[in-house]
Amino acid sequence: MATPYSRVLDLVKVQCRVFSMTFNPDRLRLGNKVLRQRLRGPTLAAWYPKKTVSFRDLQDAVKPLGLTTFDEAEDDREEAIQIAKLRGKGRPKKKRTAAESRSAKKKK
Amino acid sequence: MSQFRSKKLDIGGFINARVIRDHTKRKVFEQYEPDRQALRYIIRNTSLPQRVRAQAQLQLSTMHAYTRPTQIKNRCVAGGIARSVFRNFRLARYQFRMQALAGELPGVRKASW
Repeated sequence: MATPYSRVLDLVKVQCRVFSMTFNPDRLRLGNKVLRQRLRGPTLAAWYPKKTVSFRDLQDAVKPLGLTTFDEAEDDREEAIQIAKLRGKGRPKKKRTAAESRSAKKKK
Repeated sequence: MSQFRSKKLDIGGFINARVIRDHTKRKVFEQYEPDRQALRYIIRNTSLPQRVRAQAQLQLSTMHAYTRPTQIKNRCVAGGIARSVFRNFRLARYQFRMQALAGELPGVRKASW
């Protein structure tokens, strides 16, 4: 014996209420598939690794307390610059005015 | 666009301008995703008046390009390369090979038979 259609509809209605789905017997396009989709933003935004604490951060945190830190790499760099300056290989002086920069070009 | 970029660098690993740009796009998309989905729902719901749906279409198309998911491109986190990036390792093929041969990727070994 075939079940009447109205009975099937009632069953679907109850099913939709229980599982909190939308009851849509006419199969209208209600766009609910958009609401069912999960948000992709958080996973996409987590692609690149987060910034970790660096020595520079530690230096910045300690400086206001009046403490000093020793950065060996920075120290080496400054020393190398001093040596280069003594050999006359330092950076050229910054030109402040337009006239100065023009005269520097002409000197050739 | 610079109005979306964070004032302070908030990612580690390999950094170049393209990596920062892509990261900015990801964050902007995350921020605006609920708005986009709401508009998409209105557009796809045929029971709403046509005028409302057309307005939603217009609003969605006038949103900034950075809020669009199609702007996002997976880039290598160790080299910034956008081509041939393994999704599971987030590395491009060369960085993947280097790290795999160095034994830095658990469970990856060179095939030999």
